[in-house]
Amino acid sequence: MSDLELLRREMDRTLRVPGERPSDSTTLTRRTFLHRSLLRGVAGAAAYGLFPTLSTIDIAFAQTAQAFKFAWISDTHLYPKDFNTRFVEKSTRAIKEAQALSPPADFLMFGGDLAQLGNPVELQLGSDLLQEIKIKKFFIPGEHDWYLDMGATWNQMFGKAPWTFDHKGVRIVGLDTVSHAEDFWTSRKLTAKERMGHMATLDGTLGGAWAAVGNEQLTWLNSTLSNWPKDKPVIVFSHNPLYEYYPPWNFWVRDWREVHETLRPYTNVTNIHGHVHQPVYNEIGKLRSIGMLATSWPWPYPPEGVPILTRPMIRVDPGDPFDGVGWGHISEGADGRVDAQYKMWRKEVFATEQVDSGTGDNDNQILRPRVADRI
Amino acid sequence: MGRTKLGSPRIATGVFALLCLGIGAGPTYAHKEKHTAEQLKAFDDAFMEQVKIGDLLFHGDEETQKRLGVTLSKTGTACAMCHPYASDTHPYQFPKYQEQMSAFATLRDMINWCIEKPSEGEKIDVSSDAMKALETYIYWSNKNSKLDPGTH
Repeated sequence: MSDLELLRREMDRTLRVPGERPSDSTTLTRRTFLHRSLLRGVAGAAAYGLFPTLSTIDIAFAQTAQAFKFAWISDTHLYPKDFNTRFVEKSTRAIKEAQALSPPADFLMFGGDLAQLGNPVELQLGSDLLQEIKIKKFFIPGEHDWYLDMGATWNQMFGKAPWTFDHKGVRIVGLDTVSHAEDFWTSRKLTAKERMGHMATLDGTLGGAWAAVGNEQLTWLNSTLSNWPKDKPVIVFSHNPLYEYYPPWNFWVRDWREVHETLRPYTNVTNIHGHVHQPVYNEIGKLRSIGMLATSWPWPYPPEGVPILTRPMIRVDPGDPFDGVGWGHISEGADGRVDAQYKMWRKEVFATEQVDSGTGDNDNQILRPRVADRI
Repeated sequence: MGRTKLGSPRIATGVFALLCLGIGAGPTYAHKEKHTAEQLKAFDDAFMEQVKIGDLLFHGDEETQKRLGVTLSKTGTACAMCHPYASDTHPYQFPKYQEQMSAFATLRDMINWCIEKPSEGEKIDVSSDAMKALETYIYWSNKNSKLDPGTH
């Protein structure tokens, strides 16, 4: 058993009393079904080109009987429009589809990494494209949005995180997991562009373990939830996953133990995050985490740390720029059942055979950190 | 400096160091004598030099691309964007039938396919310094993975 496995089991033993598991009022099933629009022969299905099979993770919040649905788009990584048109096309497609949801979503959650290099031109492009979304929009930053001007443009355009609001019986929280990088640029006299370049490289050396919630935000989270009943649903949006998935690529927050301690009293917390550009699911103690898709490009599953509960997606076809990416929505029906759906532009989302799985290589794949950027 | 079919006109410093140690020049005595520690270090330095160049190219470094006369992307993408740590490049599975190319391919063929299609760059000469450097970095980053050619 790897060190990571041992650590996770230890955390689970500490955080979860024997016999305890995520709230029974929140049930989890997985099923695959044909897109409803196909069964009704709606013309819109033809736009997909294929017959999309939607694989869903159904999460039912039994305690709230109100219906709501929200859409999630993240990781658009936009360059200026004329420089990279593919990323614009993919974002536009996701935005159009999210806006076309019928009945409409209650709000759109934008999960970070709107720009690629934090450029105000890129952020403005993202904002312009998102004008197509007429419902209310909420934003959390990604590291690509932040490190050119340390969030100045982002905060001005999209507001500061963290924030919170209650919606139909659910307390919703948006965190900033990206602004707490340790300063590697001042001592090296890097320009803003150079700093952004290093932070924009997922496997870059200098950024180190930049992802964190931070003490101030943890205190805020604690007080924000303090008057919320312990068994009522909470949704926490974050750019990075709130557990230790794969630290070398900042598929974590470095203070995840403290986050779990803060959330521990609450029996019904779901963390929804971006950054990983792949479907991923995990439970540690009572906290569930769902990783959503990027619109821009997919990442491979890392060589270790893929949660056992994750059903990996079918590995991506590099010849199709629209494969392995997409958006998602979380919806709750009037009976309290909630579907979390990955909207991918392909026939099937999840692999059933090892040969098709994005994790198929991992038994044999040994990787190492890069050398050329150690300045 | 434009691309040349004969490779870069400048000899990389690692190879220069080897020449200074008398390796590669004149009659080859090296196989009759034990390698010295200095020689082994020089081999390793020459290797790591190519790893670093390949690392820079793999991560889209503009200066290195210019110096070697290659354009790996015209849309700002770099290999490392889809392949952090050169993950999912599975060099140990080549040569194999490569679905996307509808052809039997070596790693170098796949590198060129990726440069052209997902990265929207210009294909490079398979015997060029740039190709060797990219191949070196990809193999180095996947070192100790088990050789498994022909795996889909």
